[in-house]
Amino acid sequence: MINLTNVSRWYGQVIGLNDVTCEIGPGVTALLGMNGAGKSTMMRLITGQLKPTTGDIKVLGLEPFANEELYKVLGYCPEIDRFYEHNSGREFVYYLARLAGYTPDEAKRRTQQGLELVGMAERADRPIAGYSKGMRQRIKLAQAMIHDPQIILLDEPLNGLDPVGRHDMTSLLAHLASQGKTIMISSHILYEVEHMTESILLLHRGRLLATGDLRVIRSLLDKHPHQVRIQTSDPRGVARELVPLPNVVSVEFMTEGNAIRLEVRDPNSFYDSLAKLVIENNLPVESLESPDNNMESVFKYLVEA
Amino acid sequence: MGLYLFSHSLREFLRFRRIFPWVILCALGVVVAILWPYVVGAQTQAQQYADLSSMLAFHLAPLAAAIIVTSIIGQEVEQKTIVYLLTRPISRWKLLLSRYLAACIVVAGISILCTLALSIAIFHNPLRNELLVPDFLAILCGSFAYGSLFLMFSLLIVRSMIPCMLFFVWEVSIPNMPGDIYHLSIYSYMQGIAQHPVVDQQKGVAFLTGSMSNNLLTPSTSYASLIGCALVLGALSLWWFSRFEYVPREDAD
Repeated sequence: MINLTNVSRWYGQVIGLNDVTCEIGPGVTALLGMNGAGKSTMMRLITGQLKPTTGDIKVLGLEPFANEELYKVLGYCPEIDRFYEHNSGREFVYYLARLAGYTPDEAKRRTQQGLELVGMAERADRPIAGYSKGMRQRIKLAQAMIHDPQIILLDEPLNGLDPVGRHDMTSLLAHLASQGKTIMISSHILYEVEHMTESILLLHRGRLLATGDLRVIRSLLDKHPHQVRIQTSDPRGVARELVPLPNVVSVEFMTEGNAIRLEVRDPNSFYDSLAKLVIENNLPVESLESPDNNMESVFKYLVEA
Repeated sequence: MGLYLFSHSLREFLRFRRIFPWVILCALGVVVAILWPYVVGAQTQAQQYADLSSMLAFHLAPLAAAIIVTSIIGQEVEQKTIVYLLTRPISRWKLLLSRYLAACIVVAGISILCTLALSIAIFHNPLRNELLVPDFLAILCGSFAYGSLFLMFSLLIVRSMIPCMLFFVWEVSIPNMPGDIYHLSIYSYMQGIAQHPVVDQQKGVAFLTGSMSNNLLTPSTSYASLIGCALVLGALSLWWFSRFEYVPREDAD
Protein backbone atom coordinates (compact mmCIF):
# COMPACT_ATOMS: atom_id res chain seq x y z
CA MET A 1 0.00 0.00 0.00
CA ILE A 2 2.70 2.48 1.01
CA ASN A 3 6.12 1.97 -0.53
CA LEU A 4 9.20 4.04 0.14
CA THR A 5 12.28 3.26 -1.90
CA ASN A 6 15.58 4.88 -0.92
CA VAL A 7 13.77 8.01 0.15
CA SER A 8 15.81 10.92 1.44
CA ARG A 9 14.64 14.38 2.27
CA TRP A 10 16.94 17.30 2.96
CA TYR A 11 16.06 20.70 4.43
CA GLY A 12 18.97 22.68 3.07
CA GLN A 13 21.98 21.28 4.91
CA VAL A 14 19.89 19.32 7.39
CA ILE A 15 18.69 15.84 6.63
CA GLY A 16 15.15 14.99 7.63
CA LEU A 17 14.99 11.46 6.27
CA ASN A 18 17.96 9.42 5.16
CA ASP A 19 17.69 6.67 2.55
CA VAL A 20 14.59 5.00 3.93
CA THR A 21 13.18 1.94 2.23
CA CYS A 22 10.10 0.25 3.64
CA GLU A 23 6.70 -1.13 2.84
CA ILE A 24 3.62 -0.54 4.94
CA GLY A 25 0.58 -2.74 4.54
CA PRO A 26 -2.89 -3.03 6.07
CA GLY A 27 -3.24 -2.94 9.84
CA VAL A 28 -1.73 -0.63 12.41
CA THR A 29 1.93 0.31 12.02
CA ALA A 30 3.65 2.44 14.61
CA LEU A 31 6.24 4.95 13.50
CA LEU A 32 8.49 5.43 16.46
CA GLY A 33 11.33 7.75 17.19
CA MET A 34 12.45 10.61 19.39
CA ASN A 35 11.58 14.20 18.59
CA GLY A 36 13.43 15.19 15.43
CA ALA A 37 13.87 11.59 14.30
CA GLY A 38 12.06 12.29 11.03
CA LYS A 39 8.58 10.96 11.83
CA SER A 40 6.72 14.09 10.74
CA THR A 41 8.89 14.38 7.64
CA MET A 42 7.99 10.82 6.71
CA MET A 43 4.31 11.54 7.33
CA ARG A 44 4.47 14.67 5.18
CA LEU A 45 6.20 12.79 2.39
CA ILE A 46 3.57 10.07 2.43
CA THR A 47 0.75 12.62 2.53
CA GLY A 48 2.29 14.48 -0.40
CA GLN A 49 2.96 17.74 1.38
CA LEU A 50 6.65 17.34 0.69
CA LYS A 51 8.55 15.88 -2.23
CA PRO A 52 11.45 13.52 -1.58
CA THR A 53 14.86 14.95 -2.45
CA THR A 54 15.82 11.52 -3.76
CA GLY A 55 14.04 8.20 -3.94
CA ASP A 56 10.53 7.19 -4.76
CA ILE A 57 7.28 7.09 -2.80
CA LYS A 58 4.17 5.32 -3.94
CA VAL A 59 0.90 5.20 -2.04
CA LEU A 60 -1.59 2.79 -3.61
CA GLY A 61 0.64 3.02 -6.65
CA LEU A 62 0.27 6.82 -6.85
CA GLU A 63 2.83 9.58 -6.48
CA PRO A 64 1.56 11.40 -3.40
CA PHE A 65 2.69 15.00 -3.96
CA ALA A 66 -0.39 17.22 -4.45
CA ASN A 67 -2.31 14.20 -5.76
CA GLU A 68 -6.01 14.88 -5.31
CA GLU A 69 -6.90 11.29 -6.30
CA LEU A 70 -4.90 10.01 -3.37
CA TYR A 71 -6.52 12.42 -0.91
CA LYS A 72 -9.88 10.79 -1.62
CA VAL A 73 -8.64 7.67 0.16
CA LEU A 74 -6.16 9.15 2.61
CA GLY A 75 -6.93 10.72 5.95
CA TYR A 76 -4.33 12.70 7.84
CA CYS A 77 -4.32 13.91 11.42
CA PRO A 78 -1.39 16.33 11.72
CA GLU A 79 0.64 16.89 14.85
CA ILE A 80 0.05 20.65 14.79
CA ASP A 81 -2.53 21.97 17.20
CA ARG A 82 -3.88 24.74 14.98
CA PHE A 83 -7.40 25.42 13.76
CA TYR A 84 -9.63 28.22 12.57
CA GLU A 85 -10.20 29.17 16.16
CA HIS A 86 -13.37 31.20 15.58
CA ASN A 87 -15.08 28.16 14.01
CA SER A 88 -16.88 25.61 16.11
CA GLY A 89 -15.63 22.03 15.91
CA ARG A 90 -18.69 21.14 13.86
CA GLU A 91 -18.10 23.98 11.38
CA PHE A 92 -14.46 22.99 11.03
CA VAL A 93 -15.21 19.34 10.31
CA TYR A 94 -18.11 20.27 8.02
CA TYR A 95 -15.86 22.66 6.04
CA LEU A 96 -13.29 19.93 5.48
CA ALA A 97 -16.04 17.43 4.60
CA ARG A 98 -17.26 19.83 1.92
CA LEU A 99 -13.71 20.15 0.63
CA ALA A 100 -13.67 16.37 0.40
CA GLY A 101 -16.38 16.79 -2.23
CA TYR A 102 -19.54 15.89 -0.32
CA THR A 103 -22.89 17.58 -0.87
CA PRO A 104 -24.16 19.75 2.00
CA ASP A 105 -26.48 17.04 3.31
CA GLU A 106 -23.90 14.29 3.04
CA ALA A 107 -21.23 16.51 4.62
CA LYS A 108 -23.60 17.29 7.48
CA ARG A 109 -24.34 13.60 8.01
CA ARG A 110 -20.69 12.63 7.91
CA THR A 111 -19.77 15.48 10.23
CA GLN A 112 -22.25 14.21 12.82
CA GLN A 113 -20.98 10.66 12.33
CA GLY A 114 -17.34 11.71 12.64
CA LEU A 115 -18.00 13.75 15.77
CA GLU A 116 -19.87 10.84 17.35
CA LEU A 117 -16.99 8.55 16.48
CA VAL A 118 -14.56 10.67 18.50
CA GLY A 119 -17.03 11.46 21.28
CA MET A 120 -17.45 15.13 20.41
CA ALA A 121 -21.00 15.26 19.06
CA GLU A 122 -22.38 16.90 22.20
CA ARG A 123 -19.62 19.46 22.56
CA ALA A 124 -18.82 20.45 18.99
CA ASP A 125 -20.90 23.62 18.74
CA ARG A 126 -18.66 25.86 20.80
CA PRO A 127 -15.79 27.84 19.20
CA ILE A 128 -12.60 25.77 19.00
CA ALA A 129 -10.72 28.56 20.81
CA GLY A 130 -12.30 27.35 24.07
CA TYR A 131 -11.48 23.66 23.61
CA SER A 132 -9.18 21.65 25.83
CA LYS A 133 -6.19 19.90 24.27
CA GLY A 134 -8.04 16.59 24.28
CA MET A 135 -11.08 18.08 22.54
CA ARG A 136 -8.89 19.63 19.88
CA GLN A 137 -7.21 16.29 19.34
CA ARG A 138 -10.58 14.61 18.87
CA ILE A 139 -11.64 17.21 16.31
CA LYS A 140 -8.45 16.60 14.36
CA LEU A 141 -9.16 12.89 14.40
CA ALA A 142 -12.73 13.46 13.24
CA GLN A 143 -11.60 15.47 10.21
CA ALA A 144 -9.08 12.76 9.30
CA MET A 145 -11.75 10.07 9.24
CA ILE A 146 -14.63 12.06 7.79
CA HIS A 147 -14.32 10.54 4.31
CA ASP A 148 -13.85 6.96 5.50
CA PRO A 149 -10.32 6.74 4.09
CA GLN A 150 -8.52 3.53 3.24
CA ILE A 151 -5.23 4.89 4.55
CA ILE A 152 -5.09 6.84 7.80
CA LEU A 153 -1.97 8.63 9.01
CA LEU A 154 -2.03 9.93 12.54
CA ASP A 155 0.83 12.10 13.75
CA GLU A 156 1.03 11.84 17.54
CA PRO A 157 -2.73 11.20 17.79
CA LEU A 158 -2.86 10.43 21.49
CA ASN A 159 -1.26 13.69 22.63
CA GLY A 160 -3.54 15.37 25.11
CA LEU A 161 -6.11 12.60 25.29
CA ASP A 162 -7.17 11.47 28.75
CA PRO A 163 -7.01 7.75 29.64
CA VAL A 164 -10.63 7.21 28.54
CA GLY A 165 -9.90 9.00 25.27
CA ARG A 166 -6.81 6.87 24.74
CA HIS A 167 -8.74 3.72 25.38
CA ASP A 168 -11.51 4.81 23.00
CA MET A 169 -9.00 5.73 20.36
CA THR A 170 -7.11 2.47 20.70
CA SER A 171 -10.36 0.53 20.33
CA LEU A 172 -11.39 2.62 17.34
CA LEU A 173 -8.08 2.10 15.57
CA ALA A 174 -8.20 -1.63 16.27
CA HIS A 175 -11.70 -1.70 14.77
CA LEU A 176 -10.57 0.23 11.68
CA ALA A 177 -7.55 -2.04 11.28
CA SER A 178 -9.81 -5.08 11.43
CA GLN A 179 -11.65 -3.63 8.41
CA GLY A 180 -8.44 -3.87 6.41
CA LYS A 181 -7.47 -0.23 6.59
CA THR A 182 -3.87 0.86 6.61
CA ILE A 183 -3.18 2.90 9.71
CA MET A 184 0.10 4.56 10.53
CA ILE A 185 0.60 6.16 13.91
CA SER A 186 3.62 8.17 14.89
CA SER A 187 4.65 8.55 18.48
CA HIS A 188 7.67 9.28 20.60
CA ILE A 189 6.00 7.79 23.67
CA LEU A 190 6.40 4.10 23.18
CA TYR A 191 3.95 2.76 25.71
CA GLU A 192 1.22 4.66 23.86
CA VAL A 193 1.42 2.38 20.89
CA GLU A 194 2.54 -0.78 22.66
CA HIS A 195 -1.00 -2.08 23.00
CA MET A 196 -2.06 -1.07 19.51
CA THR A 197 0.36 -2.93 17.33
CA GLU A 198 3.30 -5.26 17.08
CA SER A 199 4.37 -3.78 13.79
CA ILE A 200 6.84 -0.97 14.10
CA LEU A 201 9.11 1.29 12.12
CA LEU A 202 11.80 2.81 14.28
CA LEU A 203 13.41 6.03 13.08
CA HIS A 204 16.48 7.64 14.54
CA ARG A 205 18.11 10.77 13.13
CA GLY A 206 16.35 10.29 9.85
CA ARG A 207 17.38 6.67 9.42
CA LEU A 208 15.15 3.64 9.62
CA LEU A 209 16.72 1.81 12.52
CA ALA A 210 14.43 -1.20 12.70
CA THR A 211 11.32 -2.46 11.06
CA GLY A 212 9.01 -5.43 11.47
CA ASP A 213 7.35 -7.36 14.24
CA LEU A 214 8.05 -6.10 17.72
CA ARG A 215 8.11 -9.67 19.13
CA VAL A 216 10.91 -10.65 16.75
CA ILE A 217 12.91 -7.60 17.71
CA ARG A 218 12.35 -8.33 21.36
CA SER A 219 13.50 -11.93 21.01
CA LEU A 220 16.70 -10.67 19.44
CA LEU A 221 17.09 -8.28 22.31
CA ASP A 222 16.80 -11.06 24.84
CA LYS A 223 20.35 -11.96 23.90
CA HIS A 224 21.34 -8.64 25.48
CA PRO A 225 21.30 -8.27 29.29
CA HIS A 226 17.97 -7.12 30.71
CA GLN A 227 17.82 -4.78 33.68
CA VAL A 228 15.89 -5.73 36.80
CA ARG A 229 15.56 -3.53 39.87
CA ILE A 230 14.73 -5.20 43.18
CA GLN A 231 13.63 -3.26 46.23
CA THR A 232 14.57 -5.10 49.43
CA SER A 233 15.27 -4.55 53.12
CA ASP A 234 18.40 -6.74 52.81
CA PRO A 235 20.22 -5.89 49.57
CA ARG A 236 23.35 -7.84 50.48
CA GLY A 237 21.44 -10.99 51.46
CA VAL A 238 19.34 -10.94 48.28
CA ALA A 239 22.40 -10.27 46.10
CA ARG A 240 24.19 -13.21 47.77
CA GLU A 241 21.34 -15.54 46.80
CA LEU A 242 20.97 -14.22 43.25
CA VAL A 243 24.58 -13.96 42.09
CA PRO A 244 24.99 -17.78 41.72
CA LEU A 245 22.09 -17.92 39.24
CA PRO A 246 23.38 -18.68 35.73
CA ASN A 247 21.39 -15.85 34.10
CA VAL A 248 22.70 -13.06 36.30
CA VAL A 249 25.43 -11.06 34.58
CA SER A 250 26.03 -8.32 37.15
CA VAL A 251 24.72 -6.84 40.38
CA GLU A 252 24.84 -3.20 41.37
CA PHE A 253 23.93 -1.79 44.78
CA MET A 254 21.81 1.32 44.40
CA THR A 255 22.98 4.37 46.35
CA GLU A 256 19.41 5.56 46.93
CA GLY A 257 17.09 3.37 48.99
CA ASN A 258 17.45 -0.33 49.68
CA ALA A 259 17.65 -1.71 46.19
CA ILE A 260 19.85 -3.66 43.83
CA ARG A 261 19.97 -3.56 40.05
CA LEU A 262 20.73 -6.73 38.17
CA GLU A 263 21.64 -7.39 34.59
CA VAL A 264 20.26 -10.71 33.47
CA ARG A 265 20.07 -12.79 30.30
CA ASP A 266 16.97 -14.76 29.37
CA PRO A 267 14.69 -12.81 31.68
CA ASN A 268 11.86 -15.36 31.68
CA SER A 269 14.12 -18.05 33.09
CA PHE A 270 15.51 -15.57 35.65
CA TYR A 271 12.01 -14.63 36.86
CA ASP A 272 11.21 -18.33 37.36
CA SER A 273 14.35 -18.82 39.45
CA LEU A 274 13.68 -15.66 41.44
CA ALA A 275 10.14 -16.76 42.24
CA LYS A 276 11.46 -20.11 43.53
CA LEU A 277 14.06 -18.39 45.72
CA VAL A 278 11.50 -16.01 47.20
CA ILE A 279 9.22 -18.90 48.15
CA GLU A 280 11.81 -21.45 49.22
CA ASN A 281 14.40 -19.18 50.88
CA ASN A 282 11.97 -16.49 52.01
CA LEU A 283 13.89 -13.73 50.25
CA PRO A 284 12.76 -10.29 51.48
CA VAL A 285 11.81 -8.87 48.04
CA GLU A 286 9.55 -5.85 48.47
CA SER A 287 9.11 -4.94 44.85
CA LEU A 288 10.38 -5.89 41.47
CA GLU A 289 10.69 -3.63 38.51
CA SER A 290 12.09 -4.09 35.05
CA PRO A 291 12.76 -0.84 33.28
CA ASP A 292 13.32 -2.88 30.15
CA ASN A 293 10.01 -4.64 30.18
CA ASN A 294 8.31 -2.54 27.52
CA MET A 295 8.95 -1.07 24.11
CA GLU A 296 11.05 1.65 25.64
CA SER A 297 13.78 -0.95 26.02
CA VAL A 298 13.57 -1.91 22.37
CA PHE A 299 13.96 1.68 21.43
CA LYS A 300 16.80 2.30 23.85
CA TYR A 301 18.77 -0.76 22.88
CA LEU A 302 18.47 -0.12 19.19
CA VAL A 303 19.32 3.53 19.45
CA GLU A 304 22.32 2.88 21.64
CA ALA A 305 23.54 -0.04 19.55
CA MET B 1 -16.50 22.25 -4.72
CA GLY B 2 -14.73 25.30 -6.17
CA LEU B 3 -17.93 27.28 -5.80
CA TYR B 4 -18.31 26.21 -2.19
CA LEU B 5 -14.73 27.18 -1.46
CA PHE B 6 -15.28 30.55 -3.15
CA SER B 7 -18.43 31.31 -1.14
CA HIS B 8 -16.84 30.06 2.07
CA SER B 9 -13.78 32.25 1.47
CA LEU B 10 -16.02 35.22 0.71
CA ARG B 11 -17.86 34.71 3.99
CA GLU B 12 -14.56 34.42 5.84
CA PHE B 13 -13.22 37.65 4.34
CA LEU B 14 -16.50 39.41 5.11
CA ARG B 15 -16.55 38.38 8.74
CA PHE B 16 -17.46 41.37 10.90
CA ARG B 17 -14.11 41.55 12.66
CA ARG B 18 -12.25 41.52 9.37
CA ILE B 19 -14.43 43.96 7.46
CA PHE B 20 -15.16 46.43 10.24
CA PRO B 21 -11.83 48.35 10.03
CA TRP B 22 -12.39 48.89 6.31
CA VAL B 23 -15.89 50.23 6.90
CA ILE B 24 -14.41 52.64 9.44
CA LEU B 25 -11.83 53.77 6.85
CA CYS B 26 -14.64 54.41 4.35
CA ALA B 27 -16.51 56.40 6.99
CA LEU B 28 -13.38 58.44 7.59
CA GLY B 29 -13.38 59.14 3.83
CA VAL B 30 -16.81 60.69 4.24
CA VAL B 31 -15.50 62.90 7.05
CA VAL B 32 -12.59 63.99 4.83
CA ALA B 33 -15.02 64.71 1.97
CA ILE B 34 -17.11 66.97 4.22
CA LEU B 35 -14.03 68.82 5.48
CA TRP B 36 -12.28 68.94 2.08
CA PRO B 37 -13.72 72.29 0.81
CA TYR B 38 -12.41 73.97 3.96
CA VAL B 39 -8.91 72.66 3.19
CA VAL B 40 -8.50 73.29 -0.56
CA GLY B 41 -11.08 75.99 -1.17
CA ALA B 42 -13.79 76.12 -3.80
CA GLN B 43 -13.90 73.25 -6.32
CA THR B 44 -16.51 71.73 -8.59
CA GLN B 45 -18.16 68.64 -7.17
CA ALA B 46 -16.59 66.52 -9.93
CA GLN B 47 -13.09 67.83 -9.15
CA GLN B 48 -13.59 67.36 -5.45
CA TYR B 49 -14.75 63.78 -6.01
CA ALA B 50 -11.89 63.08 -8.48
CA ASP B 51 -9.27 64.27 -5.98
CA LEU B 52 -10.69 62.32 -3.07
CA SER B 53 -11.39 59.21 -5.10
CA SER B 54 -7.81 59.22 -6.43
CA MET B 55 -6.33 59.83 -2.99
CA LEU B 56 -8.52 57.56 -0.90
CA ALA B 57 -10.45 54.94 -2.87
CA PHE B 58 -7.70 54.19 -5.39
CA HIS B 59 -5.10 53.90 -2.65
CA LEU B 60 -7.35 51.77 -0.51
CA ALA B 61 -7.19 49.00 -3.14
CA PRO B 62 -3.44 48.22 -2.76
CA LEU B 63 -3.70 48.50 1.01
CA ALA B 64 -6.66 46.12 1.18
CA ALA B 65 -5.05 43.76 -1.34
CA ALA B 66 -1.80 43.71 0.66
CA ILE B 67 -3.66 42.65 3.78
CA ILE B 68 -6.37 40.40 2.35
CA VAL B 69 -4.70 38.70 -0.61
CA THR B 70 -1.48 37.90 1.22
CA SER B 71 -3.55 36.14 3.87
CA ILE B 72 -4.91 33.61 1.33
CA ILE B 73 -1.88 31.36 1.65
CA GLY B 74 0.53 33.31 3.84
CA GLN B 75 -1.78 33.31 6.83
CA GLU B 76 -2.61 29.64 6.39
CA VAL B 77 1.09 28.81 6.36
CA GLU B 78 1.73 31.05 9.38
CA GLN B 79 -1.17 29.55 11.30
CA LYS B 80 -0.15 26.08 10.06
CA THR B 81 -3.73 25.38 8.97
CA ILE B 82 -2.54 24.99 5.36
CA VAL B 83 -2.05 21.28 6.04
CA TYR B 84 -5.82 20.72 6.26
CA LEU B 85 -6.37 22.32 2.87
CA LEU B 86 -3.51 20.63 1.06
CA THR B 87 -4.54 17.14 2.09
CA ARG B 88 -8.05 17.41 0.64
CA PRO B 89 -9.11 16.00 -2.72
CA ILE B 90 -9.17 19.39 -4.41
CA SER B 91 -6.54 20.51 -6.88
CA ARG B 92 -4.24 23.18 -5.62
CA TRP B 93 -4.94 25.57 -8.48
CA LYS B 94 -8.68 25.35 -7.80
CA LEU B 95 -8.08 25.97 -4.12
CA LEU B 96 -5.98 29.04 -4.82
CA LEU B 97 -8.18 30.40 -7.60
CA SER B 98 -11.36 30.21 -5.50
CA ARG B 99 -9.76 32.05 -2.63
CA TYR B 100 -8.02 34.55 -4.89
CA LEU B 101 -11.28 35.47 -6.64
CA ALA B 102 -13.07 35.88 -3.32
CA ALA B 103 -10.25 38.04 -1.95
CA CYS B 104 -10.12 40.29 -5.05
CA ILE B 105 -13.88 40.79 -4.96
CA VAL B 106 -13.67 41.85 -1.32
CA VAL B 107 -10.76 44.21 -2.11
CA ALA B 108 -12.72 45.75 -4.98
CA GLY B 109 -15.84 45.89 -2.80
CA ILE B 110 -14.01 47.86 -0.10
CA SER B 111 -12.71 50.45 -2.59
CA ILE B 112 -16.06 50.66 -4.36
CA LEU B 113 -17.75 51.19 -1.00
CA CYS B 114 -15.33 54.07 -0.45
CA THR B 115 -16.16 55.67 -3.82
CA LEU B 116 -19.87 55.27 -3.11
CA ALA B 117 -19.46 56.87 0.29
CA LEU B 118 -17.53 59.76 -1.28
CA SER B 119 -20.18 60.15 -3.99
CA ILE B 120 -22.95 60.32 -1.44
CA ALA B 121 -20.99 62.81 0.68
CA ILE B 122 -20.20 65.06 -2.30
CA PHE B 123 -23.12 64.64 -4.71
CA HIS B 124 -25.74 63.49 -2.18
CA ASN B 125 -27.15 61.40 -5.04
CA PRO B 126 -24.45 59.07 -6.37
CA LEU B 127 -26.25 58.69 -9.70
CA ARG B 128 -25.32 62.29 -10.49
CA ASN B 129 -21.64 61.33 -10.39
CA GLU B 130 -20.53 60.62 -13.96
CA LEU B 131 -17.12 59.44 -12.78
CA LEU B 132 -18.58 56.63 -10.71
CA VAL B 133 -18.82 53.93 -13.40
CA PRO B 134 -15.29 54.47 -14.80
CA ASP B 135 -14.06 54.45 -11.20
CA PHE B 136 -15.82 51.15 -10.52
CA LEU B 137 -14.16 49.63 -13.57
CA ALA B 138 -10.76 51.06 -12.68
CA ILE B 139 -11.05 49.71 -9.14
CA LEU B 140 -12.22 46.32 -10.32
CA CYS B 141 -9.34 45.91 -12.78
CA GLY B 142 -6.86 47.43 -10.31
CA SER B 143 -7.99 45.11 -7.49
CA PHE B 144 -7.40 42.01 -9.59
CA ALA B 145 -4.02 43.34 -10.77
CA TYR B 146 -2.93 44.17 -7.21
CA GLY B 147 -4.37 40.83 -6.12
CA SER B 148 -2.31 38.85 -8.62
CA LEU B 149 0.85 40.78 -7.86
CA PHE B 150 0.54 40.35 -4.11
CA LEU B 151 -0.55 36.74 -4.46
CA MET B 152 2.66 36.04 -6.34
CA PHE B 153 4.66 37.87 -3.66
CA SER B 154 2.95 35.89 -0.92
CA LEU B 155 3.84 32.60 -2.61
CA LEU B 156 7.48 33.60 -2.97
CA ILE B 157 8.17 35.50 0.24
CA VAL B 158 7.54 34.51 3.84
CA ARG B 159 5.55 37.11 5.79
CA SER B 160 4.85 39.07 2.64
CA MET B 161 2.27 41.44 4.07
CA ILE B 162 4.77 44.09 5.16
CA PRO B 163 6.65 44.23 1.80
CA CYS B 164 3.30 44.36 0.02
CA MET B 165 2.11 47.20 2.23
CA LEU B 166 5.33 49.05 1.47
CA PHE B 167 4.31 48.79 -2.17
CA PHE B 168 1.75 51.43 -1.21
CA VAL B 169 4.62 53.96 -0.97
CA TRP B 170 5.71 52.91 -4.47
CA GLU B 171 2.20 53.42 -5.76
CA VAL B 172 1.97 56.91 -4.28
CA SER B 173 5.34 58.13 -5.51
CA ILE B 174 6.00 56.40 -8.85
CA PRO B 175 3.09 57.95 -10.84
CA ASN B 176 4.55 61.38 -10.07
CA MET B 177 7.98 60.57 -11.48
CA PRO B 178 9.04 62.09 -14.77
CA GLY B 179 9.88 59.80 -17.66
CA ASP B 180 8.36 56.39 -18.32
CA ILE B 181 8.75 54.80 -14.92
CA TYR B 182 5.10 55.48 -14.13
CA HIS B 183 4.35 52.51 -16.39
CA LEU B 184 5.48 50.34 -13.47
CA SER B 185 2.63 51.51 -11.28
CA ILE B 186 -0.79 49.86 -11.29
CA TYR B 187 -2.22 53.12 -9.99
CA SER B 188 -1.27 54.89 -13.26
CA TYR B 189 -3.35 52.40 -15.21
CA MET B 190 -6.27 52.79 -12.84
CA GLN B 191 -6.10 56.53 -13.49
CA GLY B 192 -5.92 55.75 -17.20
CA ILE B 193 -9.27 53.94 -16.97
CA ALA B 194 -10.90 56.47 -14.64
CA GLN B 195 -9.78 59.51 -16.72
CA HIS B 196 -10.31 61.90 -13.85
CA PRO B 197 -10.41 65.55 -14.96
CA VAL B 198 -7.05 67.27 -14.46
CA VAL B 199 -7.01 70.87 -13.30
CA ASP B 200 -4.52 72.97 -11.39
CA GLN B 201 -4.08 71.39 -7.98
CA GLN B 202 -2.16 72.26 -4.86
CA LYS B 203 1.24 70.55 -4.84
CA GLY B 204 0.36 68.21 -2.00
CA VAL B 205 -2.91 67.20 -3.59
CA ALA B 206 -1.23 66.71 -6.97
CA PHE B 207 1.34 64.41 -5.32
CA LEU B 208 -1.28 62.34 -3.54
CA THR B 209 -3.40 62.00 -6.67
CA GLY B 210 -0.33 61.04 -8.73
CA SER B 211 -0.84 63.87 -11.22
CA MET B 212 2.36 65.86 -10.75
CA SER B 213 3.80 64.70 -14.08
CA ASN B 214 0.55 64.55 -16.04
CA ASN B 215 1.32 61.01 -17.14
CA LEU B 216 -2.17 60.00 -18.16
CA LEU B 217 -2.51 56.72 -20.06
CA THR B 218 -5.31 55.88 -22.50
CA PRO B 219 -8.19 53.70 -21.28
CA SER B 220 -7.53 50.94 -23.84
CA THR B 221 -3.85 50.67 -22.86
CA SER B 222 -4.85 50.70 -19.21
CA TYR B 223 -7.49 47.99 -19.53
CA ALA B 224 -5.15 45.77 -21.54
CA SER B 225 -2.28 46.28 -19.09
CA LEU B 226 -4.26 45.63 -15.92
CA ILE B 227 -6.14 42.63 -17.29
CA GLY B 228 -2.90 41.27 -18.75
CA CYS B 229 -1.08 41.77 -15.44
CA ALA B 230 -3.88 40.05 -13.51
CA LEU B 231 -4.03 37.11 -15.92
CA VAL B 232 -0.28 36.55 -16.29
CA LEU B 233 0.61 36.91 -12.62
CA GLY B 234 -2.52 35.01 -11.59
CA ALA B 235 -1.71 32.09 -13.89
CA LEU B 236 1.91 32.13 -12.74
CA SER B 237 0.77 32.01 -9.12
CA LEU B 238 -1.53 29.04 -9.78
CA TRP B 239 1.25 27.18 -11.55
CA TRP B 240 3.74 27.95 -8.80
CA PHE B 241 1.38 26.89 -6.03
CA SER B 242 0.63 23.60 -7.79
CA ARG B 243 4.29 22.73 -8.16
CA PHE B 244 5.95 23.72 -4.93
CA GLU B 245 5.73 22.77 -1.27
CA TYR B 246 3.80 24.79 1.27
CA VAL B 247 4.30 23.39 4.74
CA PRO B 248 4.41 25.15 8.09
CA ARG B 249 8.05 26.11 8.30
CA GLU B 250 8.58 25.97 12.05
CA ASP B 251 7.37 22.42 11.95
CA ALA B 252 10.21 21.16 9.78
CA ASP B 253 12.11 18.46 11.63
